[in-house]
Amino acid sequence: MKSLSVPGVLDSLDLIAEYVMEAAAEAGLDKKATYKLRLAVDEIATNIVTHGYEEGGCQGDMDIHSEISDQYLTIYIEDTAREFNPAAKIPEELERVNQPINERIIGGLGIFLVLDGVDDFIYERVGNKNRNTFKSKIPESK
Amino acid sequence: MAFNCELKTINAIATISVSGELDRKAAPDFQAKVEEASKQDITALVIDMKELEYMASAGLRVLIFAKQHMPNVTVYVVGAQELVADTIEKTGFNESIVMLSKYDAAIIEKN
Repeated sequence: MKSLSVPGVLDSLDLIAEYVMEAAAEAGLDKKATYKLRLAVDEIATNIVTHGYEEGGCQGDMDIHSEISDQYLTIYIEDTAREFNPAAKIPEELERVNQPINERIIGGLGIFLVLDGVDDFIYERVGNKNRNTFKSKIPESK
Repeated sequence: MAFNCELKTINAIATISVSGELDRKAAPDFQAKVEEASKQDITALVIDMKELEYMASAGLRVLIFAKQHMPNVTVYVVGAQELVADTIEKTGFNESIVMLSKYDAAIIEKN
């Protein structure tokens, strides 16, 4: 499947969702696995736009590509925003600060849906890029 | 897919009907409707999700907002589709709101 490069803004979320669902269809994922994968990618893409680019005060793109092997559909998203590991533990300082409860809950919810949505999720910092990798198992054909 | 939401208030029950896909981009529209409802004198807030195809954590955030700003109002989610309901349940939100498969006047309109 071809790659997709979109601006790191909320308007791009629709395009990313279309891309992911097309890849899922090509890989033969069922409806539930497709929804969960789409959700996982959406949560990360949203974080890239809001926590990466917007809060980081910069602009950039999100590059998405996919690979289909015998066993897995793999989706990669790369961005050039500041280093942001979605699964990193919240620093203790943040826990001590009187942060509104909904902010803490929401941060946890997003990553929970990512980890719950795919069979494998990997974050890497590669040079000046963040790379988020999602792997969904392809159902075995009978 | 586009997102749409409408608010109707009848007899102190506000109903927000949501449709399409609720991601972070669409969430502010939903939040605006909840804010409007929170200014009214209501006893119940019903979120009609029959036509909602997708919901990200941004949608859950609006439900949290609703609960925090209307602590004396019962929040009902009606008709959530299977995968949207799944998200609500696995994140534990079904404990903060009342999930119904359809609008049940006996439950919602009790005084």
